[in-house]
Amino acid sequence: MTWTDFPIIAPLVAALLVAVAIIGVDMIAPGRSRPAIAVALVGLGIVAIAIVWTDQLVRTGQASGVAFGGAYTVDPLATYLDLVFVAIVALTVLFGPDYLGARDLPVAEYAAVLVFAMSGAMLIAGSSDLLVLFVALELMVLPGYLLAGFAKHDALSTEGAIKYFLLGSFSSAILLFGLAYIWGITGTTRIDGVAAALASAHGVSPALALGMALLTTGVAFKLAAVPFHYWTPDAYQGSPTPVTGFLSVGPKVGAIAIVLRLFVEALGPVHVDWMPVLAVLAVLTMTLGNLVAVSQTNVKRMLAYSSIAHTGYILVGFAVYANDPSGEGLTAVLFYAVAYAFMNLGAFAVVAALQKRPGVTSQLDTFAGLGRREPLLGLLMTLFLLSLTGIPPTAGFFAKALIILSAVQAGAPILGLAVVLNAIVAAFYYLRVVVYMYMREPQGEPAAVSHGALLRVGLAIAAAMTILIGLLPGPLIDAATTAARSLLPV
Amino acid sequence: MHIDLAGIPIISIVVFLPLAGALLIAFVPRRFERAVKALALLTALAAWVVSLVILVAYLPSIGGFQFGETADWIPAFGIQYKVGVDGLSVALVVLTTTLTWISILASFGPIKERVKEFMISFLILEVGMLGVFVALDLFLFYIFWEVVLVPMYLIIGIWGGANRIYATMKFVLYTLVGSLLMLLAILATAYTYQLATGSWTGAFDFFALKAHGFDATLQGFAFFAFFLAFAIKVPMFPFHTWLPDAHVQAPTAGSVILAGVLLKLGGYGFIRFAIPLYPDAAVSFAPLIIVLSIIAILYGAIVALRQPDLKKLVAYSSVSHMGFVTLGIFASVLIPVGVAGREQGMQGAILQMISHGLITGALFLLVGVIYERTHDRAIAKMGGLGAPVPVYAAILGFFVFASVGLPGLSGFVGEFLVLVGSWAYNPWVAVASTFCMIFAAAYLLWMLQRVAFGPVSEFLKGLGHHLTDITPVEILTLAPLGALVVVLGLFPGLILGLVDGSVRDVLAAVHGATTAGILR
Repeated sequence: MTWTDFPIIAPLVAALLVAVAIIGVDMIAPGRSRPAIAVALVGLGIVAIAIVWTDQLVRTGQASGVAFGGAYTVDPLATYLDLVFVAIVALTVLFGPDYLGARDLPVAEYAAVLVFAMSGAMLIAGSSDLLVLFVALELMVLPGYLLAGFAKHDALSTEGAIKYFLLGSFSSAILLFGLAYIWGITGTTRIDGVAAALASAHGVSPALALGMALLTTGVAFKLAAVPFHYWTPDAYQGSPTPVTGFLSVGPKVGAIAIVLRLFVEALGPVHVDWMPVLAVLAVLTMTLGNLVAVSQTNVKRMLAYSSIAHTGYILVGFAVYANDPSGEGLTAVLFYAVAYAFMNLGAFAVVAALQKRPGVTSQLDTFAGLGRREPLLGLLMTLFLLSLTGIPPTAGFFAKALIILSAVQAGAPILGLAVVLNAIVAAFYYLRVVVYMYMREPQGEPAAVSHGALLRVGLAIAAAMTILIGLLPGPLIDAATTAARSLLPV
Repeated sequence: MHIDLAGIPIISIVVFLPLAGALLIAFVPRRFERAVKALALLTALAAWVVSLVILVAYLPSIGGFQFGETADWIPAFGIQYKVGVDGLSVALVVLTTTLTWISILASFGPIKERVKEFMISFLILEVGMLGVFVALDLFLFYIFWEVVLVPMYLIIGIWGGANRIYATMKFVLYTLVGSLLMLLAILATAYTYQLATGSWTGAFDFFALKAHGFDATLQGFAFFAFFLAFAIKVPMFPFHTWLPDAHVQAPTAGSVILAGVLLKLGGYGFIRFAIPLYPDAAVSFAPLIIVLSIIAILYGAIVALRQPDLKKLVAYSSVSHMGFVTLGIFASVLIPVGVAGREQGMQGAILQMISHGLITGALFLLVGVIYERTHDRAIAKMGGLGAPVPVYAAILGFFVFASVGLPGLSGFVGEFLVLVGSWAYNPWVAVASTFCMIFAAAYLLWMLQRVAFGPVSEFLKGLGHHLTDITPVEILTLAPLGALVVVLGLFPGLILGLVDGSVRDVLAAVHGATTAGILR
């Protein structure tokens, strides 16, 4: 590392310092959540500024965009994903204290661990070396295991965490095995080097095919794609609800970053051979996710299965990239990631708000009469659910429309049809929650709970973004297009 | 009289005025229920007045689309906010605004819970409906099409009858099946255009797409998807099964809008988008659609004959009457250029849409009036209403005759023109449809006989003084509808002159039909 590297890694350094600062504040004022949250939010703001600053430097040519001798790169894609990660973690931090405070769970640790996970995700987004990629992945998922078991006196939380940890480590090992194959075949761990070596080779050798199969399996675990999704429902249901929101979004977008760097960039020359597998995975994932979600009576579990279905829609974007290297599929994926982050975090935040009083389950019954009991909360949940269903004018609608459009553009309208049919199935279970909120009478009419200011702010942001992206998707489409282009061969 | 509206975004005003009203109502505290109601009614009346201004200012002599507004929305894909009205749009916009204020006024009594939410839902529903009738960008059209869905889902699901949840989920899922496939078709059409022209500019623009023309494969696929979306909405046999459930469970105002406007979205979609964009596919699909229309007319009538529930009877009568709409539209499509009767079928279909909106809207209001007093809709329990509530019975009789198609009232002209059109296409089709009209007369008149005449039933006697005659406010909701039914029945030229240009424009796009294609 030289001093010229500093501007490039400034956002990462800032992120790590923020995490350390949160722990420091917690040592000075142990058990007090406010100082820690304040440090976390201000720190995340600084990280966001650093990301934009670095991006400006690289864009204007004042910095090279490459650090550590080519192992880490800042390009428009890294900037785009970094900002998404910051937004996800900031919202998760806002949603946490209300729920955790009521259960005497430590808020400062929660925030610090989240920021650590974020720095891992940011490292993935900018990695241009397979080893950095793997280390970054571990840095992102290890905090996730901690968070899943955060409620350590809750048996379900512990069970979910252990499942998550075991399967997560298992899949990481498989992924690493696959990376080793790629290294063995190409003789390099640099992503551009791998791409160059594969471009000059002809066809897919058996060893490469095996390596790609291992990588696909590993990534599918991380993405929670069928048939590697088994850990999700338990891990999601057991985790504290704000954590579930994060797990359903943060590591998923992180996994998308891996696919972009690993499969689209490094294995780009052979993507034609790999993508048909993804098309099958995509259809399987969305269909199974949706069909199982229909039969759930627990909203958290339902959202867990629905997040599997959303993975399926996102995979369509990757799958069509094979036939249509113009990158529309990737644009759609990047757009989807943002829309999904806001609407899904928002939905989980509402569930968390309802569960503020310990002992309240996330069963459908909990939602009965919510529209009357807490009209604003009911309205917001309706908005998020409509967006998840894909009803315009919301962010979720444009995300689906872009995915379908990219499928049509790639000459695979059949994949678009699969998305459409799945969206109808999904409408059934999303709208069922609305049915409970507005069309059923509550049992025993529990009194309304007062909600913290942070939660209100977080919900307002999530809702505003869900509507704003729905009404004016143009700027986000442009940003996603720029980010996607940085991956394409010039 | 001519009003110059140059520079005034009159269409955006009429579409988004209800949204402004809804937002305003959202800030009125719940306890000021009267203020909420007054605001809702005022907003709806304001939108109505604006729509009347458009009606007066629109010049049929010039024809085409007027008061156009265009703004870039999503430039990356050439998606625009593009609106404008032709005669057909104007007619349906006025129908919508009229029925909306009537429905809001009619729900002042029956809606007692969550009034604020009801009014907001209703006004947002109006935004969606008006938007569908004025959108000239396919993407925008789709957005408004879906915007209609959510408020109606809530209106049926929250303020509906005992089985409302089943009914509303069925309504939503049926509609979504059609509309999402339509989205796929819209995107495929736009992409095909982009491939051919090399640019996204105009890829969702109605005029650009219409001028472009598409190959047979895309036309067939896209028309099928549009057909499904619109056929579910109309609803055509066999996609109609959501309708009786939705109608029976919906509150009165919901039923009025459902029958009065929502079903017209389907007919409008066929005329505005499906046929001009995919004319060759429209010609190939037309015989099938005509067969389905005749089945709908007959089937709706026969099933209506057997209904024990007043509202269900009116609901099935909608299936039957809307069959005439699709029959008229697609008979016109199949009649070759230059053959007499080519325009009449589609003109009749449009007139039938308007007339059905007025008459069925009124019938649902009347069912609501009696339900408010008896809390029952079973035909068997009624009987001899003419004695205790003579004014009500007289008004019911008037609208029943209008629905049967009594000459001099609006229902007659529409069906007559459709018959003229279908005769020009194939006399046997016309003969079959006429037979069905006899059934229509049978079930409606039989219903009127059982409900209004004869000795007063025990059930009604038991209600005693609760069974009051129709109130002035209720008459106020019905009077405009009655007046329009008479006016349009006597002077159908008012509508025909307005929509003549639209019909010619649409049929000008259809040139694939040759005499050989006609079954004679």
